Amino acid sequence: MNEGKGRFDIMELIKKVLFTDFVKGLVITFGYNVSMDSVITVKYPDEEKWIPYRRFRGLHTLNRTADGRELCVACELCSKACPTRCITVIPMEDNTGRGISDRVAKVWKVDLVRCLFCGYCEDACPTRAVRLGREYELACFDRNCAVKNREELLRPQPVPEEMSGGVVAKARLRTTPDGIEVVADLSETRKRRV
Amino acid sequence: MPDTATILTVIAIVVKVVIATMVIFSLPLPLTWIERKVAGHIQVRLGPWRVGPHGLLQPVADTIKLLFKEDIVPAKADKFLFWLAPLMAMVPAFAVFAAIPIGDTVMVPIINQEIALYIADMNVGILYILAIGGLGIYGIILGGWASNSKYALLGGLRSSAQMISYEIAISFAAIGVVMMSNSLSLVEIVRSQNHGIFSWNFFYLPVGPVWFAIFFIGSLAEINRIPFDLPEDEGTLSSGYITEYSGMKFSFFMLAEYVAMVSVSILAVIMFFGGWNSPFPFTIGLPSILADLLALIWFFGKVCFFIYLFMWLRFTLPRYRYDHLMVIGWKILIPLSLVTLLVTGFMRIIG
Repeated sequence: MNEGKGRFDIMELIKKVLFTDFVKGLVITFGYNVSMDSVITVKYPDEEKWIPYRRFRGLHTLNRTADGRELCVACELCSKACPTRCITVIPMEDNTGRGISDRVAKVWKVDLVRCLFCGYCEDACPTRAVRLGREYELACFDRNCAVKNREELLRPQPVPEEMSGGVVAKARLRTTPDGIEVVADLSETRKRRV
Repeated sequence: MPDTATILTVIAIVVKVVIATMVIFSLPLPLTWIERKVAGHIQVRLGPWRVGPHGLLQPVADTIKLLFKEDIVPAKADKFLFWLAPLMAMVPAFAVFAAIPIGDTVMVPIINQEIALYIADMNVGILYILAIGGLGIYGIILGGWASNSKYALLGGLRSSAQMISYEIAISFAAIGVVMMSNSLSLVEIVRSQNHGIFSWNFFYLPVGPVWFAIFFIGSLAEINRIPFDLPEDEGTLSSGYITEYSGMKFSFFMLAEYVAMVSVSILAVIMFFGGWNSPFPFTIGLPSILADLLALIWFFGKVCFFIYLFMWLRFTLPRYRYDHLMVIGWKILIPLSLVTLLVTGFMRIIG
């Protein structure tokens, strides 16, 4: 129609003949290919491990007070709140000072195969005893080992509460007779590349 | 009783054939590793990393896996053709190398013999390569047909249509090169380009770059690589003609694909980029053995660049739609090559 349009089309044709769009794309991918800094791979499990943020909902932990008494009063609110009914709590009386009250948990176990890690149990807990921690390597060989009981959950988790997370820590893969585990060195961390 | 010279020649040919076959057979090992590394880094990953340093032993692990994998033949497949198809794909890819030179004759100092760095310098080398290379398509069609699977059959059909369409454009590009270099023999084509970078066929302006573009696009389609890998289009055909193949039969198809990629890279270098000639028009007075070595380095450097270019393109471009592929082949490349042929002819008459 008008001359301006015609000239524009000629430019487009020249660009097409010289493969400018292809060349632009090739330049971008070549930039990625030669720069080592753009690699986002986390070398898990051989060299690195991802430490999640504090808001992460992983394996349950049962907390204690500063002087080592169990916070859990076995009120069973967590098991009532649980949508998948995976938490079993059996209370008992104990006035030796194991817990913060006379009522402590005889059994507190969670079936991780059923658990959907929704976090309702930690919302329901009146004493903030149960909390979803940052442990996420939960694979095991049969269903029995997916049931975690009180003693195991009372043990402090490797990533401390104070650490804000969201970093990649140096780690190494350790093979033991019980299986393999990835031990993270929390003192040496780096930000994740995005 | 033949004389000693004849026996020596025969021995030299046998040794060359054995070496060439062994080298070609082991080519996919480094190439798969390089391809996966290139893919990884372009997609901001690392690629193979865990088997050996930087994943260098990954191809060995893959080979062992493929060797021990169960060789599944579909129950309703045509057993004989199913077995024959990988061979039909692989043999032409190897046979092409009989005519491909990697260097001129060299004087080997210790045995004091002239050795030619090619198996046969045919006077119709370029035609031989086009003809034998075209046979590789039988493997793909037979593989698609014998699998008795819809996906495989569609892949085979697509492949046959695609390869036949693009064969025409490639043949025209070969004719263009023959006109520019005045010979059908690949060694002669390289010798005609030995006066520095501006005697290369690529710089035979204005038609050289056009011939190269036609040849390159056509050969991308011939060797079924992205952006023209429609025969094994994962999105619509699962894997096309190799869907039903497993184990060593599958690896023969992959071998054929990689060997085809290498031979096309070598052809591009020989036909357009001066083969083993250096880009400088002058020669420095090197001893002959060093000069021969330098020629080999130039040659392999150029070939490596083209192999990288194929991989680079693969992880940059998306796949064409099938009708677009046909439009490019029939409505652009073939008319363009006819026009370029005319221009080249005029240039030869005038120049």
